[in-house]
Amino acid sequence: MLTIPPKPVVLGAIALLACAVPIRSFFVATTGDDVDIVAVGLLDWITLPYILAGAVAWLRRPESRLGPLMLAGGFASGLSALQLTHVDSLYTVGAFFDVLPAALFLHVCLAFPDGRLRSRYESFLVGAAYAAALGLQLVKISFGAFGPRSLAELSAQPDVARTVQHVQLLSLSAICLVGAGVLVRRRRQAGRPRRRLLALLIDLFALGLVMIAVLFTAGTFDWPGFLAIQRTTLAVIGIAPIVFLIGLLDARLARSAVGDLILELRADPAPADLRDALSDALRDPSLTLAYWLPDFQAYVDLEGREVELPAGNGRTATLIERNGGHVAALIHDGALDDEPQLLDAVGAAAGISLENGRLHAELRARLEELKGSRARLLEAGRRERQNLERNLHDGAQQRLIALSLELSMLEQKLGDRPDLQARLDTARREITHTLEELRDVARGIHPAVLSGHGLAVALESIAARAPLPVQLTVDLDTRLPDRVEVAAFYVVSESLTNVAKHAEASDATVFVAKTSDGVVVEIVDNGVGGADTENGSGLRGLADRVEALGGRLRVWTPLGGGTRVQAEIPCA
Amino acid sequence: MRVALAEDSVLLREGLARLLGEAGFDVVAQCDNADDLLLKVRSYDPDVAIVDIRLPPTHNDEGLQAALDIRSQHPSVGVLVLSQYVELGLALKLLADSAEGVGYLLKDRIGDVEEFVAAVRRVAAGGSALDPLIVQTLVSRQRPDDPLVQLTPREREVLELMAEGSSNQGIAEKLVITVRAVEKYVSSIFGKLGLPSTGSESRRVLAVLTFLRS
Repeated sequence: MLTIPPKPVVLGAIALLACAVPIRSFFVATTGDDVDIVAVGLLDWITLPYILAGAVAWLRRPESRLGPLMLAGGFASGLSALQLTHVDSLYTVGAFFDVLPAALFLHVCLAFPDGRLRSRYESFLVGAAYAAALGLQLVKISFGAFGPRSLAELSAQPDVARTVQHVQLLSLSAICLVGAGVLVRRRRQAGRPRRRLLALLIDLFALGLVMIAVLFTAGTFDWPGFLAIQRTTLAVIGIAPIVFLIGLLDARLARSAVGDLILELRADPAPADLRDALSDALRDPSLTLAYWLPDFQAYVDLEGREVELPAGNGRTATLIERNGGHVAALIHDGALDDEPQLLDAVGAAAGISLENGRLHAELRARLEELKGSRARLLEAGRRERQNLERNLHDGAQQRLIALSLELSMLEQKLGDRPDLQARLDTARREITHTLEELRDVARGIHPAVLSGHGLAVALESIAARAPLPVQLTVDLDTRLPDRVEVAAFYVVSESLTNVAKHAEASDATVFVAKTSDGVVVEIVDNGVGGADTENGSGLRGLADRVEALGGRLRVWTPLGGGTRVQAEIPCA
Repeated sequence: MRVALAEDSVLLREGLARLLGEAGFDVVAQCDNADDLLLKVRSYDPDVAIVDIRLPPTHNDEGLQAALDIRSQHPSVGVLVLSQYVELGLALKLLADSAEGVGYLLKDRIGDVEEFVAAVRRVAAGGSALDPLIVQTLVSRQRPDDPLVQLTPREREVLELMAEGSSNQGIAEKLVITVRAVEKYVSSIFGKLGLPSTGSESRRVLAVLTFLRS
C-alpha cells in the first residue's frame, strides 16, 4: 500500500492540516457559548501527538504502515471534534467520524510495531471494528441519531437509531476487549520486553482498549460519571503516541551512544568487558555475544562453549561480518529489530574488538577440545590396560597354575623316584616364580582388585605395604566410576612412594572421602617438606591425571613442614 | 568330606576336582558361576566350598559375594576363597566377624598339593587358612613402637603360622619341634603382646589378625 517515503508535498499538507487543528479548536471554542472547552482540548491532546508520531514514523520507516495508520487516527479524531461546532455541515462531518478513531486506535495497537496484522483473526477483528464504526455510523445517522442538525438524516426514527447505536457501541466494546486480550497474550508469549519504554507503550495500548470498551458500555447504559470516564479515556489514549515519540528520541540518543562506544573500544577492552560496552550502547542488558568459529562450524561463547542462535521467542541474532567473513552474532532482545541502523552502527564500531573476542573464544574452544581428547585418551588407555590384565589373568596365569597342579599330581604318582621328583619340584618352583613375576606385571598394568572391590579394599594393601606407618581412613559408602577410582588409587600410591623416597617422614595419613560431586583424597606426612612439584617427582604426572578428569591437585609443601597432597576428583 | 567347587576355568576346575578326588574328598558339585554355587551348596550341604574370587558375569566381586553369602546363610559350610592376587582388604572382609571355617589362599598354592589339601581339610573342619603373603604383609607392616620387636625370631615364625591358621600340631610338624614347645612359644607370644588367651585355634587367628592390623 504505502511503502514509499512521503513526498514533500504530502508532508507539507500534513503540517498545514496539523496547524489547522488548534485553529479549528479556537474557532470551535469561540463560535458558541456552550462549547465544552475541556472536550475540545482533550481531542487536540489526541489529535496532535498522533499526527506528529505518525509523520515521524512514516519518515523513519516508510515501508511500515504504522505511520500512515497513526496519521489517519490523528486526523480522524481531529475531524470528529467538528461535531462540537455550530455549523451544521461541519457538525455532520464530525458526526460521521465520531466513533472511527476507536477503530483506528485498535488497528494501531494490533499492528504495532511493524504496521502489519499478524493473523487472519486479527484482520477480521479490525475489519469488524471498521464495519461497526463506519457502516453502523451511517445507518445510525440516517435514522437521525444526531438529530435534525445533521444534514444526513433521512428519516427521524429515534428508537431504531438508539438500537443501532447500542449494537454499534456494545460490539465495539467487545472487539476492543478482545483486542486488549490479544495484546496481553502476545506479551505473555514473548515474555516481558526488556526495553521499558516498549513495555510501557504496549501496556498503554491495552489499557486504552479497555478504557474504550468501558466508555462505550457506559455510553450505552447511561452510566453516571460518563463524562469523567470519557475524559480519562481520551487522556490515556493521548499518552501512547507521546511515549512512542519518546522511544524514537531514545533511539536517536542511542545512536549517539555509538560514539561513546567507539571511544570506549579505542581503549581496547578485555574480551570479557566487550559485552558490557555493547550492551550499554544498545541499551539491552540481556545482550549476549556469540563468536563464529569456522573450524568448528559453530557459534561459541567467550569460554568456547557452543551456543545455539535463537529462533523466535523474542530474541534475535544480528550477524556481524568483517572482511567478507562471519565474525560474531549479537543475540539481543527482539525489540531492537526496530533499530537496524543502530545495530549496524554498533556492529561496525565493534568489528576489531569482536575479532579479538573471536580469537579468544577460539583459543578456549581448542583448549576445551584438547582437555576432552586428553580425558578420552586416558580413558582409552585405562580400558586397554584393564583388558590386558584380564587377558593375562584368564590366559597365561590360569594355564600356569593348571600346569603346576598337573606337575604336582604327577610327582605324587611317581612313587619312589627321588631324582625325577626333584626335577619336577624344580620345574614347579620355576612356575611359581613365573607366576609371581606375572602377578607383579599384571598389578603394574592395572590393579585388578580396584575394579573388583573398590578403593577401600585396594588401598588397604597399599597402606600396609608402605615402608612407614600409614593411618588410612576411607569414608565411602558406594563405589565410584572406574576412572575416578583409578586416579584416586594412583594419587595415593604415588604419593606414598614419594613420601617413602623423599620426605624422611616418620608417619603419614591417608584420607579419602566423598564430596558433593566426587571424591577428595588427601595424603599428609610429617617429613621435611619442600617437595619438587614440577619435575620428576611424579606430582606433575598426578596433576595431569587428575586434571584430565576435570579435577584439581594441590600440594602444600613448606620447607620443614611436611607435605600435604590433596586431590579433588569430580565423578561427573 | 564333601566339597563344592566354583571355578570358571575348565582346566583348573577339572584339575582341582581330580586332585581333591585323589586326596579322598567327595566332590559333590562343580560349577562355573556364583548363582549355581549357592544353589548347589543349598542342595548338597557340602563340608566346604572352594570359590574362585573372580567369577562371571563381570569377574569383579561375584566370587567374594558368594563366599560371604555362604558364610552368613550356611555357617556350617567352610569357605575357601582362591584368587590370583591376595589382598589384605579382602581378607579383612572375609574374616570380619570370625575366622571359623574360612580360608583365603593364592591360587598358586594349589601346586603344593599336600599343603593345599591340608588347608582344605582345616577349613572344612571349621579351622582357618590365611595366605602366608597376607600374614607377611601384616607382620612386616610398619607401626610406631612396633611391639613385634620384643619377639624372638622363633616366636615370630610361630606367630606367622598361627595367623595362617595352623594348629599347634601343624606348627610343631612344620618347625620340627614338639607340641609342648609350640604351646610354650604361644603363651610367651600372647604374654609379650598382651593378648588374652583364647580357646579355639580359629579364635586365636582372629585375635592375632586384629592385633596385627591395629
